[in-house]
Amino acid sequence: MKKLIIIPAFNEESNIEKTVTAIQENADGFDYVIINDCSGDRTRQICEEKGYNIINLPINLGIGGAVQTGYKYALEHGYDVAVQVDGDGQHNPEFLSIMAEHLMDKGLDMVIGSRFIEKEGFQSSKLRRVGIIFFSKLIYLLTGTKITDPTSGLRMIGRNVMALFAVDYPRDYPEPESVVAVLRRNMKVEEIPVVMKEREGGVSSISMKKSVYYMVKVTLAILIERIRKY
Amino acid sequence: MNIKLQIIVAIIIIIALCVIINMIRSKRLELRYALAWLIVGMGTLILDCFPEVMIWMARKLGIASPVNMLFFFGFCFSLVIIFVLTVAVSRMSIRIKQLAQELALYEKDNEDNKI
Repeated sequence: MKKLIIIPAFNEESNIEKTVTAIQENADGFDYVIINDCSGDRTRQICEEKGYNIINLPINLGIGGAVQTGYKYALEHGYDVAVQVDGDGQHNPEFLSIMAEHLMDKGLDMVIGSRFIEKEGFQSSKLRRVGIIFFSKLIYLLTGTKITDPTSGLRMIGRNVMALFAVDYPRDYPEPESVVAVLRRNMKVEEIPVVMKEREGGVSSISMKKSVYYMVKVTLAILIERIRKY
Repeated sequence: MNIKLQIIVAIIIIIALCVIINMIRSKRLELRYALAWLIVGMGTLILDCFPEVMIWMARKLGIASPVNMLFFFGFCFSLVIIFVLTVAVSRMSIRIKQLAQELALYEKDNEDNKI
């Protein structure tokens, strides 16, 4: 059973060491790969000095393009399971083995780590929660499946979904849209409760200014994903 | 339209066409994207030389003033060109993304094999 952790990293020099150390200590049986999305800071140098497993993108592709590179890598190297763990230290690697077990035992295609099942840990700001609930309701309306945390970046997938994502993965803000892409194909998705931390450094990819664009883009993307043919 | 204006417009169009053709010749412009501009240029040149065509067309379409028809067609054509460019940009950005990913993965494999 080969399991891969994909760490997308864009200007994460202050977090990347902590993230990798946490993975090495708490995620037994997982390999990892850092996808350096053409960072302008010392992310690359730090990783190379420490001898981390890193893929360097020649141009900045955004979070979606970076994670997709990871899925392609996982597919090519025969991994059975791939999981995305953000490079900013928000995701706790301790949950990874529980997620992997859940995925195996139930024969699922995708397991999402949700902050909102047991409502512990960092719960995001109030305004963001409103947006998340909106997407949750929208996805339920369109697919009939309840996803409490559709924006969660902590998602584990099997080879079926990997093959799907390697070919087609949204460029920016990919999470809610790609969940719909998976659900639409009648693949099995379940959530398990996790605790997330507040980010320890760097800046979130969704600033206040971008949040309007975010809501409009993701809503449209979800609707269009639902009426896609293949 | 008086003859003076007609000549000025014709000269401008011919210069523009020459510039476009020269850019295609020196490979700064790809023929497939320049084709639309060449057709517009020639079409405008024909209308400029034979304004009767324009008047006749406007009458047939029920547009009161031939100039309005020209504006309307020009606007529609611009929209089409801009849309075609948007499609081209989308396709290119997808291709560039794929290229970058392939390159990164290839480089990674290369380095791993060196050790």
